[in-house]
Amino acid sequence: MSCSLLDLKAYAVGELAEREKSTVDDHVRGCENCREELDRLRLTWSALASLQDEEIPRRIAFVSDQVFEPRWWQTIWRSGPAMGFASASLLAAAIVAHGFLGYGFPGHGFAHPAATATGAQLDTAQIERRMEAGVNARVDAAVAQAVSAAQAKQSAEFARLLKATEHQRQMDLADFEQASEYYEKQMHRFEVASNEGPAQ
Amino acid sequence: MIFREVEDRDLIAKARRGHVDAYNVLVSRWEKRIFNYLLRLVRQREDALDLSQDVFLKAYQNIKKLDDPAKFPAWLFRIAHNEAYSLLRKNRPEGELTAVPEAATGLFPIEMTLAVRGALDRLSDDHREAVLLKVYQGFKFEEMAEILACPVSTVKSRLYTALDLLKQTLAPVNIGGAE
Repeated sequence: MSCSLLDLKAYAVGELAEREKSTVDDHVRGCENCREELDRLRLTWSALASLQDEEIPRRIAFVSDQVFEPRWWQTIWRSGPAMGFASASLLAAAIVAHGFLGYGFPGHGFAHPAATATGAQLDTAQIERRMEAGVNARVDAAVAQAVSAAQAKQSAEFARLLKATEHQRQMDLADFEQASEYYEKQMHRFEVASNEGPAQ
Repeated sequence: MIFREVEDRDLIAKARRGHVDAYNVLVSRWEKRIFNYLLRLVRQREDALDLSQDVFLKAYQNIKKLDDPAKFPAWLFRIAHNEAYSLLRKNRPEGELTAVPEAATGLFPIEMTLAVRGALDRLSDDHREAVLLKVYQGFKFEEMAEILACPVSTVKSRLYTALDLLKQTLAPVNIGGAE
């Protein structure tokens, strides 16, 4: 095959199918010019590939971005306590409905409608109170957890800064001592030189 | 790799339904690649960082327009390309630089890194971007054509010209012993 018909660059960048690659391999074995050209392309690719990716200096922020905050209905939908409240309300409604429907079937031993309604109201009130207590407990726990996490993070950051400051102080002290020693030596040399000067 | 693709697809599906958490995971997976692509294209760290932020914001706002989750990488890089070129056009309307070959032979790793960066910097924006998408992001010609919104023939032409220019610097003729 003629050299001009071969796409060595496509070969080098991995865009050739297996069959086309075999054709190039066969040709390159017997063609010094194409072999050298392919070597240079591979060398170029290797040099380019040696360039490492850099770490991103700071993460892309989204959670705190207003644009990404969920809509009100999404917030409710994803809220555990709110969903719990909704479920309990549904349950209470079902109990009330069951009480009224049950009265319509004689012989089932249901209580007087007035008593049933009162009972249902009591049940609903109790459930709501329990629900509220449960929600409050969960919110308190979540808040306490968030506060303690923030405090722990702050303490860790403070400790880190303190350690870094202490390290820097030690380094500065060492530099200062080294400089002092150097200047003392220099002063000593000057003194020796000045003492020797008049003698000559 | 297969698992990773499936996971990305799931995350995209969730993000389309408004799950910010799922989108944040996607961001954490792709931010480094997008940042490095933009950094090598616009060559200014702060610009690259700002553009990365804009890219992920626009991607989130438009994710419902992405019909095929498998095309997410090319779609995301298309947004990044548009953002980068808006900036490049604003900063440097002419945008074309002439490649000046300098041999990069027998170099230590740090020198090689500098030589590669220098060689890439001397390319025009179009040529450099073709190299970035192929060498560093591993896109196929068809995907590159989608990202750059141009024919495959143009993609090949840009990449091949760029390789010829880079070859003069990074693999001069005497390296292969041809002279």
